Amino acid sequence: MELLSMAIAAILINNVVLTQFLGICPFLGVSKNSKSAVGMGLAVIFVIFGASLLTFALYKLVLVPFNIEYMQLISFILVIAAFVQFTEMFIKKYSASLYKSLGIYLPLITTNCVVLFVAQDNITQGYNLIETMVNSISVPAGFMLVLFLFSCLRERLDSADTTASWRGNPVALVVAALMALAFSGLAGIV
Amino acid sequence: MWQNFKNGFIKENPVFGLYLGLCSSLAISTSLNNAIGMGMCVTIVLIFSNVLVSAIRKITPDEIRIPVYIVIIATLVSIVEMIVHAFMPELYDSLGVFLGLIVVNCIILGRAEAFASKNPIGASAIDGLGMGLGYTFALVLISVVRELIATGGIAFYNPFDATQIIFGFNIEALAPYTVSLFSGSVGAFLTFSCFAALFAFIKQRSAKKEKEAKK
Amino acid sequence: MTSIVVAILVFVALGALFGVGFYLNQKTPKPKGCENLTADCEGCRITTCPHHPHSTEGEKENA
Repeated sequence: MELLSMAIAAILINNVVLTQFLGICPFLGVSKNSKSAVGMGLAVIFVIFGASLLTFALYKLVLVPFNIEYMQLISFILVIAAFVQFTEMFIKKYSASLYKSLGIYLPLITTNCVVLFVAQDNITQGYNLIETMVNSISVPAGFMLVLFLFSCLRERLDSADTTASWRGNPVALVVAALMALAFSGLAGIV
Repeated sequence: MWQNFKNGFIKENPVFGLYLGLCSSLAISTSLNNAIGMGMCVTIVLIFSNVLVSAIRKITPDEIRIPVYIVIIATLVSIVEMIVHAFMPELYDSLGVFLGLIVVNCIILGRAEAFASKNPIGASAIDGLGMGLGYTFALVLISVVRELIATGGIAFYNPFDATQIIFGFNIEALAPYTVSLFSGSVGAFLTFSCFAALFAFIKQRSAKKEKEAKK
Repeated sequence: MTSIVVAILVFVALGALFGVGFYLNQKTPKPKGCENLTADCEGCRITTCPHHPHSTEGEKENA
C-alpha cells in the first residue's frame, strides 16, 4: 500500500516535469507530436529503470564499503552514459523495428537530467531495493504522462494564431504553467 | 572577442534565446540568493571546462570526443560541489540536488562542443565567461520578479555566512498583495514565458531593423 | 589509502567503459531503413545529439 501511494505521489503530485522542472529540454523539444512523445517516454522509462538499478548496486557494493561516497556524482553519470551507449548498440544490432521507434531518442537521454536525478534521489531518500524499483518506474512514468498530454495540447497550439514573439516555446510554457496549476489540484490525493 | 562576450547576454542568451539549461533555471530561481549562487557555480564550471576542452582539442581523438568532455565536466562539477559543501553550507542546502545536475546542464556540454572544441584557449575562456554571465543574468531576472511577487521583498545573503544580509529590502505596500503561487512551479513557468517572449520580441525587432538598413 | 586507489580504479574503469561503449556504438551501423531517421526535435538545442541539425544552426542564428 505504501508503495502504491509512493508511485501515485511520484506520478501525479511530485511530477518531475511540472513540480521539479526536470527534463524540460525534451519536454519542449520532443513534444511536437504524440507519437514521438510516447517513444521518448518509453525510452526514458527503460533507461531510468536500468540505470537506477546499476547505480544502486554500484553505490551499495562499491562506494559504501570503500568509503568513497564522494565519487557518487561522477560514477553515476558515467554509468548512465555507458548504459545508454550499450543499450543503443544492442538495439541497433538486434532489432531494427525497436530502433526505429525508440532508438532515435536514446542519444537525447544521456543529457536528460531526470535520469541522474532519479539515480541520486534513490540514494538520498535512503530507499531499499524494492522502493528504488518502484521509484525508478513511477518517476519516468509521470514524465511520460505529462509529455504525452503536452504533445496533444501542442498539436492544437501549433495551428493557433499567436503573436509573433509568443509563437513557439513562450506560449508552450504558458500552457505548461496552466498544466502545473491543474496538477497542483491533485495534491490532496495521498 | 567583445562581440562573443556580449552575444551571451541578449542575442544568444543561453536561457531565453537558445532554451538551454531550462531545468535548473526554472527550479533555482525562487530567490535572488539561489540564482546568484547557482549562476556563479555554472560560470566557474563553464570557464574551466571550456579552457580544458580547448587545451586538449588537438590531442582528443574525434571518435571519443564526447565521453572525454563528459568526464571533464563531471570532474569539475564534483570539485565545485565539494567546495560549496565545505565553505557555503547554506547555499549547498538550498541548491540541493540541482548543484550536481550541473553535469547534465546542456549549456556546458553544448559550449564545449560548439565553441571550445574549435577555438583557442583565450577565446574559449571569454566565451565561457560570457555564456555563464548570460545564464546568471537570466536567472537573476527571473528570480527578482518571482521573489518580489511571492514575498514582497528581496534579500541577498553573504554566501559564506548566512546570517549577514548584504542587501535587501521590503516593499511595505506590496505586502498584502503577495502571490505565493509565484514561488512554486506555476510562477516559474509564467515568469519564464514572459521573459522568453520579451527576448524574442527584442530579437525580431533588431532583425527587422537590420533588414531595413540593408535596403 | 586503499579507498583512494579504489576511487581512482572506479573512475578509470567507468570512464573506459563509457569510452569503449561510445566507440563501439559509433562503429555499429544503423539498421536498414533507419539511416535517415530524425527525431522531431528542432526545439531542443542539445548540440551533442547526433540528430541535432548542425548545419542549420548558423542560419537560425542569422535569422
